[in-house]
Amino acid sequence: MTNKQQTNILLPTNEDTTGPYFPTYFNDESYEDLTQIHSGVIAGPSGQHIILRGRVLDRNGKLANGVLLEFWQANAKGIYRNPSSENHPDLDPWFDGYGRLRSTTGEYTYRTIFPGASKDRAPNITITIFSDGINRIVTQIFFANQKANEIDPLLKTLSDQDRKRLTAKYEGPSPDGADVYTLDIIMAGDNETPFFDDFLS
Amino acid sequence: MTRIGRQLSIGKTDNTSDQRTPRKRLRLIPTDVRESFVPVIPARAVQRQNEWDLTRIAPNRPRAEGSPIEVKGTVRNESGTLLRGALIEIWNANHYGRYRHVEDHSGLKLDENFFGIGRIITDEYGNYRFWTISPGAYLARPDIGRWRPKHIHLSISCGSSRLITQMYFPNEPNNASDPMVLLMGDSFDRNLGRPYETKIPELDQGYNFDIVVGGKNATFFE
Repeated sequence: MTNKQQTNILLPTNEDTTGPYFPTYFNDESYEDLTQIHSGVIAGPSGQHIILRGRVLDRNGKLANGVLLEFWQANAKGIYRNPSSENHPDLDPWFDGYGRLRSTTGEYTYRTIFPGASKDRAPNITITIFSDGINRIVTQIFFANQKANEIDPLLKTLSDQDRKRLTAKYEGPSPDGADVYTLDIIMAGDNETPFFDDFLS
Repeated sequence: MTRIGRQLSIGKTDNTSDQRTPRKRLRLIPTDVRESFVPVIPARAVQRQNEWDLTRIAPNRPRAEGSPIEVKGTVRNESGTLLRGALIEIWNANHYGRYRHVEDHSGLKLDENFFGIGRIITDEYGNYRFWTISPGAYLARPDIGRWRPKHIHLSISCGSSRLITQMYFPNEPNNASDPMVLLMGDSFDRNLGRPYETKIPELDQGYNFDIVVGGKNATFFE
């Protein structure tokens, strides 16, 4: 909840690096696996379970240890839980769409449901990366073999090569029936992942 | 009007910044997909009592070594909206500059009475307050003698407002050579705690630190 106050635009506090020591004490498993609310409760979101995994790599191809990743996506029906969807009939009571994990090594495994395509879009997950050495950077990733990738208005702004860099590969089902997708995020260098300016644009 | 995305800068003498900063200009987000880039973080809770007081591990425990301080302020977004119920995650080094983190291999002294990690929630007026021990500076680059100035890490999550930042202390000799401080330029003063005298007997010093979460996401749904 917010409280309006009559002011001009305020100057923002500068972002800063997360440093190497973001406390793992803040880890919360319920944000690392969105497919269940809690192991002792019969509740969970609708949709196909997926595992998204990969590596976050630096300019030298080395694992970026200690990165904090935040994920944001629509539910299985393509609806984001945000202020503009408050009373939408297709909201899923068991799905917020926000996830977070800190990777000690730079490798990540995130469990969620396959995001539904929202209007005119291909299924996607927004990923925010916080880390030592940088302020937050943001990207949006897509999934292999989706027809809607051809017409997605964000993918259309990118070169073939950049589209590939944002498209997670399908690796087949895991033993428990989740579809496994893999994608490496390359923070800098020749094969750099495209990042988006959500601060200004 | 900016028609191109930002080119991110690399922190001088910061090897990690050199390894991890994207070299290409950030891409613009087309207007029709902008909303998909605005995470809305569900309301979150503090899980342990008394996390606002980092000067002690628990209320009945001895006070940690060093100088106890208070930090307080408001949290708003750029349009001035007070952020109520915002989760602030806090971490800072102890009096000797050491974090109680399994990956801190500096060998600096641990303090058995200092945990260095806390969480608080802003009140209905967007106010927050916590106590901690004034952190020690530490030698970040022994090879070139560069120190990390005293600082407190703060991570703010509230709906579509998200910020990770650090509060610095005024008149610290190491501020001038810190890579991220250098990148902030004149706006560094927004990241300084403003000292005030406190009458609370348990404390040496108070700092006011008003936080403004910037960027378009924070005001997107207003």
